[in-house]
Amino acid sequence: MADDPNRRLIDARGKACPGPITDLSLAYRRSKVGDVFELWATDPGIRPDLQAWAKKTGNEIVSVEERDGAIVAVLRIRAR
Amino acid sequence: MRRVVILGGGTAGTLLANSLDHARFDVTVLSRSSEHLFQPALLYVALAHADPRIVRDERRLLSRRVKLVQEQVERVDLLARRVHARGAFHDYDALVVATGARADPSQIPGLSEVAARFGNYHSGVAPAQKLWAALDAFRGGTIAVGQASPICVCPPSPLEGVLLIDRLLRRRGLRDRSRLVFFTPHPRAYPAEAIDEIVAPLLKARGIELRTFFDVDRVDPKSWAIGSIEGERIDCDLPVIVPPFAGAEIAYEPASVLDDDRFVHADRNSLRIPGVLGAFAVGDAADLPTSKAGAGAHLQAMVVAEQLAGREATFDGRTHCAVDLADGTGTFVVSSYASPAVRYPPSRLKHLMKMLMGRVYWLSLSGRFEPLFDRYFHWTAPERLGASALRHAEKAAARSGS
Repeated sequence: MADDPNRRLIDARGKACPGPITDLSLAYRRSKVGDVFELWATDPGIRPDLQAWAKKTGNEIVSVEERDGAIVAVLRIRAR
Repeated sequence: MRRVVILGGGTAGTLLANSLDHARFDVTVLSRSSEHLFQPALLYVALAHADPRIVRDERRLLSRRVKLVQEQVERVDLLARRVHARGAFHDYDALVVATGARADPSQIPGLSEVAARFGNYHSGVAPAQKLWAALDAFRGGTIAVGQASPICVCPPSPLEGVLLIDRLLRRRGLRDRSRLVFFTPHPRAYPAEAIDEIVAPLLKARGIELRTFFDVDRVDPKSWAIGSIEGERIDCDLPVIVPPFAGAEIAYEPASVLDDDRFVHADRNSLRIPGVLGAFAVGDAADLPTSKAGAGAHLQAMVVAEQLAGREATFDGRTHCAVDLADGTGTFVVSSYASPAVRYPPSRLKHLMKMLMGRVYWLSLSGRFEPLFDRYFHWTAPERLGASALRHAEKAAARSGS
């Protein structure tokens, strides 16, 4: 999956709110159905924002985990 | 003498040019325009019919020892340290990219038609006057206000826009005949939570509908209906849309210094363009993880001036964005890389400070008042304000507990 050509890395580590969700919005704007985002963030505020974003946009949160001191979320674009 | 070339004669470029030691540096500002616009005032030209004389001659704002060349830069070779303009080139020892951000409605279908018909308050005096004319002629219906893209210069400006339009409609006795909708791509009315806690109740109290996670995808140029990527739609009679922004149309070698929106990569602390020597990017032109706004441009210019003078200086991500709450009070979005935006209670004094900045701005560009600004930014640092807000909250809690 790591070499999935549709997978896009969004590195928002070190960005305070709303940096991570803004970066996600920008990536979503340039995405197509089937794309997978791997979002790295350090701002804990991203967790509730991601839930709200997925609910609103109809996209899927595949996983959210802590790795190397960061929050890593894998998201699949299902609607746009 | 070291040759410093500054691209752009806006807030950062002008302040930096004036702040350098002209006995040591041969400073050239390359600007596509000879005019300098105080951008924050466009809000009032468009929404409050304010005096449109918010433009000054850049030559008169610059020290006589700074060379100003009005020309269109086409290409910058960061490896050969040469700037190519139409019919001329400039070699440099140090380069500072301060070319700002330009409104780019062409990114979204229908937005150029909105700009042509209704104007906006982010791309110059004429579009701002056009928007005022549209508001002045409005007699009732739906006005939708918001930003089209997550990148927005002066991040509080969309919110200030809807609050000022609400005030205008009330003053004209049109509010009960109008529906006001505020849309935003963010999860809440204002992206920073501490500010959202102040403004979300205001929107509710003033009967302004809030639509979050609304990323504009297209605008119908016949009906002016606004559609979002999320699949929603807002029908309106008057769309007041802050366009997307992009960096200047300048080619760079290497091209990898530009991001997808033509903003220039810069180290978030040193402001140096990575991978090349002697080049910096500041202000709205830079791809920094902080707000695109005047205070940041000011502080970044000073960080570069210090470094060029051979002193250590780093940018801490500081923001200081004024928010007009349209009821005679205001607040500021104060944050840094290390500190999220603090809750800074609205007051009349803060609003007066914003209004005062419209006058102080022109003087501030000389660089002569830097000791005052330095003190001001020091005393309003987010860590300081955050600690003071905490003390107030604790006192209030102690009072209510006793």
